[in-house]
Amino acid sequence: MNSDIQQVTTFFNKKRFRLTVLILILGMAYVGASFGLGFQTQSLLGVQDGMIWLLKNFVPNATSNGYWSEILQQLYRTFLVAVTSTTCAAVVSLFLAILGAKTLTVSKALSWLIRGFSSLMRNIPIVAWAMILLFSFKQNDLTGFLALFFMTLGFLTRAFMETIEDFGTEKIQALQATGATYLQVIFQGLLPEVAVALLTWVLYMIENNVRDATLVGLLTGTGIGFIFNLYFKSLRYGAAGLVVLSVIILVVTVELISNLVGRLLA
Amino acid sequence: MLTVKHLAKSYDGEKKSLTDVSFSVRPGEVTVIIGPSGAGKTTILRSINQLIRDDDGEILFDSTDMRQLNRSQLRRARTRIGMIFQNYNLIEPLTAIENVLHGCLGTKSNLAGMFSIYSADEKQEALKLLEKVGLRDFAYQQCRNLSGGQEQRVGIARALMQHPKIILCDEPIASLDPKSTITVMDILRNLATAEGISVLINLHQVDIARHYADHVIGINNGQVVFDDATSALTDVAVTNIYRKDANQEGSLMYEL
Repeated sequence: MNSDIQQVTTFFNKKRFRLTVLILILGMAYVGASFGLGFQTQSLLGVQDGMIWLLKNFVPNATSNGYWSEILQQLYRTFLVAVTSTTCAAVVSLFLAILGAKTLTVSKALSWLIRGFSSLMRNIPIVAWAMILLFSFKQNDLTGFLALFFMTLGFLTRAFMETIEDFGTEKIQALQATGATYLQVIFQGLLPEVAVALLTWVLYMIENNVRDATLVGLLTGTGIGFIFNLYFKSLRYGAAGLVVLSVIILVVTVELISNLVGRLLA
Repeated sequence: MLTVKHLAKSYDGEKKSLTDVSFSVRPGEVTVIIGPSGAGKTTILRSINQLIRDDDGEILFDSTDMRQLNRSQLRRARTRIGMIFQNYNLIEPLTAIENVLHGCLGTKSNLAGMFSIYSADEKQEALKLLEKVGLRDFAYQQCRNLSGGQEQRVGIARALMQHPKIILCDEPIASLDPKSTITVMDILRNLATAEGISVLINLHQVDIARHYADHVIGINNGQVVFDDATSALTDVAVTNIYRKDANQEGSLMYEL
C-alpha cells in the first residue's frame, strides 16, 4: 500500500519537475533573445511616453473630419475587394475540397496534389503575394484581389476539406446504397449537411480579408491602405488616425453581421 | 433470392474477418444474424451491397454475382436492395420527405437527382410511405428534430422507396428504446409477411431474434456456426454461438 502511495507521489513530483524545466527554458529563451537583439528590458518602462505621443497626434481632430468622404469611398472599395476575392475563392475551394477530401476523392494522387497546392497557397504570406503580383499587375485593385484570392483559396480549400472529411463515410455509404451517383451523393447528402459549416468559414474569411485588404492596399497602392500611407507620409496624422478608426469600425461591423448570419443559419 | 457462398474478407491481409461464410435468404422471410461483437456480422451485411469489398466468394442476388458487376451495373443492382443502419444515416438538416425521396435517386437521371426534381408519382409515394410508418405529420420536419425511433422509421421509408426485394438492417434497434424497438421490429416483420420482402437483420438481442425471425444464422469468429429455423435455436445453440475461443478468453482477462 505504502509503495503505491509512494508511486503516486513520485508521479506528481516528476510532473512538477517537467513543468518547472519548461518554464525555465522559456525564460532562458527570452533572456537569450534579448541579449542577441540588444533589447533592454528596462526600456519597456518608457513605453507610455510613446503611447501618449501617439494618442496626441493620431486622434482625429476637426480638420481630419474633412477627409470622411474620401475615406468612406476607399473603405467601400476595399470592402468590395475583400468580399469578391473571398466569395470567388470559396467557389473554387469547394470544388477543390470535394476532389481533395479523402472520403470523396476520385484518386489518391489528386488528393495529395490538391493538399500540396492549398498548402503552398496559404503558406505564402499575404505580403509576399502582394509584392510578387505587383510586378505583373501593377498598382490597381486587381492585384489586391488576386493576392487575397490566392491566400483565401489555400486557406478555404483546407478548411472545407476538413469539414467535408468530418462528415464521415457512413452517410455517404447510406446514399450510395440506394444506388445514387457520385454527384447525387454530393448534392443531396454532403452539401446540405456541411452548408452551414462552410458558410461560417466564408464569413470568417471575409472578416479576415477586410483586415488584410488594408495591408495589401498599402503595398499595392490601392484602397484604404493607400490613403493611410498617403496621409501618414504627408504628416496628416489625424486623418491617418481616422482611417485606422474607420477600418476598426468596418471590421467590427462585418464581425457582428457574420455572427448574426451564423445565428440565423444554425 | 440471395445466396452467399464461401465469402471471405480480411481487413489487414493477415487476420481473417470472415472465413468461408455461406448462407441463403428466402423471399418473404425475416432472417436474423446473431453473434458476438466483432464476429463479422456488419462485414457480411455490407458485402452484400458491396459497400465493403470482400476478398473472395460469391454473392448471388437474383442469380447475378454482386462481386462481378461494374460500377453502373452495381448501382442498378443496389436500387433493389434497401438498407437501414444503427445510426439511421439520414441527412439531418433535410426534412423527412426529402430523405424518403432519396430512396429513388438510383432510378433517376443524374441531374434530376442532384436538383431534387421528383415526379408527381414519386412525391405521392413518398407521402404514402411516411403515412405507412406513421410519420405523415412529420413530412416537413427536419430529421435532426426527430427522435431515434422516428428517424429509423424514416430510414425504413427511404429503403421502401427503392421498391426493394430485400432490406438489409445493420443493428437497426441498437440505439433505440424498448418501445421504438418494438415499433421498428413490427414494421420490418410486417414487410416480410405482408409484402414478401426479404429482411436480413444483424442483431445483438437473442430474445428479439427468437420473437421475430423465421430463420437464424449464428456467426462466431467469421464463421457460420448455426443456420436453421428459429425453432431450432435452443439455449445450448445460443451458448455455442456466443462462446469465446481460447484466444478471446485470454484478451478478456486482460481487460478485467
